[in-house]
Amino acid sequence: MAETMSLREKSAWVSVVTVVVCFGAYFGAIAAGLVHRGGETFRLLVLCAGAFLALQIGLNAAAALTTPKDGRTPRDEREQLIQARSLSLGYYVLASLVVALGVPFHLGHPAPDLLNFALLDVVVAGLVVAVAQIVMFRRGI
Amino acid sequence: MAVPIANQIRRLRFEAGEMTQSELAGRIGMTRQTVAAIEAGKYSPSLEAAFRIAAVFGVALEDVFQWTG
Repeated sequence: MAETMSLREKSAWVSVVTVVVCFGAYFGAIAAGLVHRGGETFRLLVLCAGAFLALQIGLNAAAALTTPKDGRTPRDEREQLIQARSLSLGYYVLASLVVALGVPFHLGHPAPDLLNFALLDVVVAGLVVAVAQIVMFRRGI
Repeated sequence: MAVPIANQIRRLRFEAGEMTQSELAGRIGMTRQTVAAIEAGKYSPSLEAAFRIAAVFGVALEDVFQWTG
């Protein structure tokens, strides 16, 4: 049976899953008040970021093993177009969210909270890029 | 959204001894999924890719792609 997903689409799925699992756990714990400010939060961030990296490497390697031919060839023109469009969308999302950082700043949130909001902005933008890629891969473009 | 360009890739593959999408993709340096998207009219290839496809089948460009807009 022909492979339905290219390596790059699988990689986008890996990004969605790893971001949701790892950073969902991090921000979920903060939102639920399970960790307090300071060292505890930092340790959780290091743990989640480490898990994110390990899962990314492991799952992308597994994806490459299932589609070895794709892994050896550079992105074709359609994949390059999908990457460019999704990154462009991600840029506008990130820029908008960075501007929106002014809201918690004016509400008087402390610096650690603002750093977490900034991290959330990056995570959301990354998620938008990956989801946009999946949608375009599924639609054809 | 379908593009206003029809193509004869499916027929040309059949006439070329049931060439698979993967085989065509390998010969033009693309993924099978991109060939499938072109064949289904979901993606318009670049002029270079269009010429490469025509060259694989040994036909003129207009024998592969036709403007329907």
